[in-house]
Order: sequence, then C-alpha cells, then structure tokens
Amino acid sequence: MFVINCPFCGERDQSEFSSGGEAHIIRPKQPTELSDDQWAEYLFMRKNIKGVQFERWNHAHGCRKWFNMIRDTSNDKIHAIYKMGEKPPIV
Amino acid sequence: MLNLETSIQGNKSYNNLTISEVEPVIKINLRSKKREFSAKIGKILSIIPPVESNMSSINDNYSLLWLSPDEWLLYSNNKISNYEEQINLEDKLFNQISKLNQGAVTNVTDHLVMINLNGNKIYDLLSKGCPFNFNDFMSKKGSVAQTIVNHTDVILHNINEGNLNLFVRRSFSKHLWSWINDSARFI
Repeated sequence: MFVINCPFCGERDQSEFSSGGEAHIIRPKQPTELSDDQWAEYLFMRKNIKGVQFERWNHAHGCRKWFNMIRDTSNDKIHAIYKMGEKPPIV
Repeated sequence: MLNLETSIQGNKSYNNLTISEVEPVIKINLRSKKREFSAKIGKILSIIPPVESNMSSINDNYSLLWLSPDEWLLYSNNKISNYEEQINLEDKLFNQISKLNQGAVTNVTDHLVMINLNGNKIYDLLSKGCPFNFNDFMSKKGSVAQTIVNHTDVILHNINEGNLNLFVRRSFSKHLWSWINDSARFI
C-alpha cells in the first residue's frame, strides 16, 4: 500500500486508484495497414519491467481523472506524477 | 419519473452521534469545460462553482460541491416542498446550459441518497472503514472529499466540524446505513 498524490485531489490512499498500465503507447495512424502481428504488438504487448516505469493511473474512487506516473515497480517509489498531455519530467 | 421514495427509514442516535437521511433534496450533477459556465451558474443560482479542489460554495438555498475540475454537484440546503420546484430548477438549468451546449445537466436526485452525520465522533466512525485522512478535512468548513467508506463510493461534504453530509448511491445506501449503525455502537 502506498499514497498517491492525485494532481487534482491531493494525497490519497492507493486503494482509491486503479492502474491503467503502461503510458505513452501511441496508437498506429493506419490500423488497417498493419499485419495481425503488428496490431497484437500494439494492443497486448507491454514492457512490464522491474524498475522505473511510465504508467497511467485513474483516481477511480475520487475525481475519476486519468494522469501519468513514473514509478519504480521494484519498491513502489513514485518519482513523478504529471497530468495527461504534459511532457514527462526528467527523473 | 423520479423515485423520491425514501431509501432508509428513520434516524438513529448514539452517544454523541446522530445519523439521519435527509430527503427529499434536489441533487443535480453539472459538467462543463466552458469558460462562460461559471458566470451562467452564478446568474441562475446566485452561486459560483468552486474552482479550488475539494471545496464547496454555499448560499442560502444551495450548496455546490467540487467533484473534479469539470464536474460539480448541486444540492438544495432545505427539503423541497413540491415536485414542481425540482422540475423547474432542472428545466431552467437544462434550457440555459445543456441546450446551448454550455455543459451537461443531470438530475441525480433519486440516484444519490444524502445521509447527515452529526456529532463529534463522526470522523472516528468513518475512519473505521475509510482510507481518507480526516485531519485537515474536519476543521475546514465546506471541504469536500470523494472516497470509499466500507468499499462503497461516497461524497463527503463537511458543513462544519462535527456536521457532515454523506452522499451514497441509492443501491448501496441500505448496506452503508447498516454498516454505519453497526460501527457507531463501538465508538
């Protein structure tokens, strides 16, 4: 369990949030031109690394807004939180 | 047709704690990202939507709670005397906001149940099943929090210290009411 600083509501317990997986995955501009393998790569394949990862989170039981987080998956240390559309800070 | 039947029957009193459902109260959800929205609401209701997060605006008739940067909950401070009063307010907001593409107006009167908690132990009671830190919240007049109490989504409006309105979805209200009463016996 850890505390997340929602960019809209402030510090809240992790149980109020839901994880949306890896962040900054760009949707292909022409999905019809992709092969099945390429589409599956975009749709399902995630890095899931042990270490610092860029993630999307949703304050599901609060303001219901999405935001981005840079988190170390090995120790749950949060390095940065930034709003959707903002450039990720350098950590 | 709105269901204005009460969800919970009666009210309960414990040592330094009173719990009661307040109904019927008008509840309207407002959503907008437009700049003109605040001025429009101010003109219709004489109340400005709070911009500061987790806060509320209150006047004689209405309270307006911040839910997210583009979402607010409006509710009447007093019980409504008739059904028409509610429909008139909804129509007025709908015609001047939704119809003009200024935002969305949704009547959630029968979607949410409002429970009033009164007494100096209400924060101890909620803390039994809630991960929210009430330290700053309790002393801040008009503060708002959306959180979970006993796994149930709630909106908390701190009118002043020791007096709080809790909004819960109608389908969860009886369950939460039972839990509150059960927990109140042990504080």
